[in-house]
Amino acid sequence: MENHHISSESEEEEFSDRFVCCMCLELLYKPIVLSCGHVSCFWCVHRSMSGEKQSHCPLCRHPYNHFPTICQLLHCLLLNSYPVAYKKRELQILEEEKKTGYFSPQLDVQAWSSQANQDSNIPGDSVSKELSASMQETVFDSYNLNNAIAVSRPADGGDYEGMENVTEQVKYPLLSQQQSGSPKQISVADVLCAACKQLLFRPVVLNCGHVYCESCIVKQDEEKIRCQVCQSFHPARYPKVCLDLQNFLIEQFPKELAHRRDGVQRNHVNPTTCEGKSSKEAEKSSSGSYHRGVGCDYCGMYPIIGDRYRCKDCVEKIGFDLCNDCYNTSSKLPGRFNQQHTAEHQFELIRSDIIRGSVKDNE
Amino acid sequence: MASVNQDNVPGATGTAPSKKSQAPAKTADSQSVLKRLQSELMALMMGGDSGISAFPEEDNIFCWKGTINGSKETVFEGTQYRLSLSFPNDYPFKPPKVKFESFCFHPNVDVRGHICLDILQDKWSSAYDVRTILLSIQSLLGEPNTSSPLNPQAAQLWSNQEEYRKMVEKLYKPPNA
Repeated sequence: MENHHISSESEEEEFSDRFVCCMCLELLYKPIVLSCGHVSCFWCVHRSMSGEKQSHCPLCRHPYNHFPTICQLLHCLLLNSYPVAYKKRELQILEEEKKTGYFSPQLDVQAWSSQANQDSNIPGDSVSKELSASMQETVFDSYNLNNAIAVSRPADGGDYEGMENVTEQVKYPLLSQQQSGSPKQISVADVLCAACKQLLFRPVVLNCGHVYCESCIVKQDEEKIRCQVCQSFHPARYPKVCLDLQNFLIEQFPKELAHRRDGVQRNHVNPTTCEGKSSKEAEKSSSGSYHRGVGCDYCGMYPIIGDRYRCKDCVEKIGFDLCNDCYNTSSKLPGRFNQQHTAEHQFELIRSDIIRGSVKDNE
Repeated sequence: MASVNQDNVPGATGTAPSKKSQAPAKTADSQSVLKRLQSELMALMMGGDSGISAFPEEDNIFCWKGTINGSKETVFEGTQYRLSLSFPNDYPFKPPKVKFESFCFHPNVDVRGHICLDILQDKWSSAYDVRTILLSIQSLLGEPNTSSPLNPQAAQLWSNQEEYRKMVEKLYKPPNA
């Protein structure tokens, strides 16, 4: 397989072609797996979504309505496999985020690896309050963006002296969490199914970013798939296998996977997907009023269809909104864009009079 | 959450990005567009596709000139066409504007060089790139959609491939002539 390489001033690191984002053509950063199994960067997925109607996978045109959460397992895998290239991407994206004023969620890699098997692990949830607070301070209050960018430049050379500890933590979470730039050997423990806790076999990723073996996804007849880790619903039919991850695992763990395959085939008949029903579902969801360019920060529905609840107290530029269903369920999920939303915040109900179908496509 | 794309939310309510934010947003956009276009250029130059080529105009990486050779065993065999590609600030989330610069007698190309091709409009995907665009146009040459033509005369003549070939030869102007 062909390899891409990133060259920086001092170091070069090669990474597999399969981890190149199809949109920015760079190493995947904060990867999101769509329910068709295709992977792209957080920002690439968000910016390629319609905001007005159903979105489609750029690679296979599979339709979807919800902005998925970052796949933390894949994020850690990439960070450990290509530490230099991945951290370079982090710096690059952070500079862009400072310019735009929109921020992707902070992921705590250490918490992830130490509690990878605990139920409490929700992406972004483990971000410490302290870190969040200082993030807010540095980013939203100082507004000294040019300065911040100037400071981050010498980071390419790996020199952080003279920067305050806290700011360093906030600006370079990955760098401060893992100072050594050498690739870490990926072990089976890094790529376990959230349900069976064994090496992932034919991995699928739910909308919440948690990864399961295809055969471990079970659901009752007409019920939606629910994540066993974070309890959130997967708002679509069975997700498809993430082949990029599967092929990576085959390369890394050929023996272990062969063993897993035998076990799975003995015990399980693969669930059959019914595409006919999924299009019916999509039809159903596309009726009613919607909120152009506004998404739900819990389930990811984008645009929000039906009633919308807007937080009046979140100061972030991206805003904080919930759909009707999520407003009525007490969820503890963090915002999709690092918003510092708390339970004390007040919501206002916003109704939309834009009806789907009455809007003509300009294109 | 709100949309972060600039022109995506004309009537967005409430939390939409405020107007004053647009200038810096643009800078970040052009940066990432720049990177993506540079990657594409590298890949195109290393790839060595025969029959298509593209290169940015002098000192503007947002405007490219491309060439397409007519495929073998089509009425366009032996011809070469020049095209222009102009990339928006939010490329690849929006398609580039692609036009024929040289005259092309084709059912889906009008006299001013506009192309009617779905992937350049509503079927655009951010995973397309210059290479796939040029290859698509190249195959459009040999397989036109004659049911909704921009050039009705060409569409009518298409069924008679011998006459069509003569017309192509008659109207053809080599790009460098």
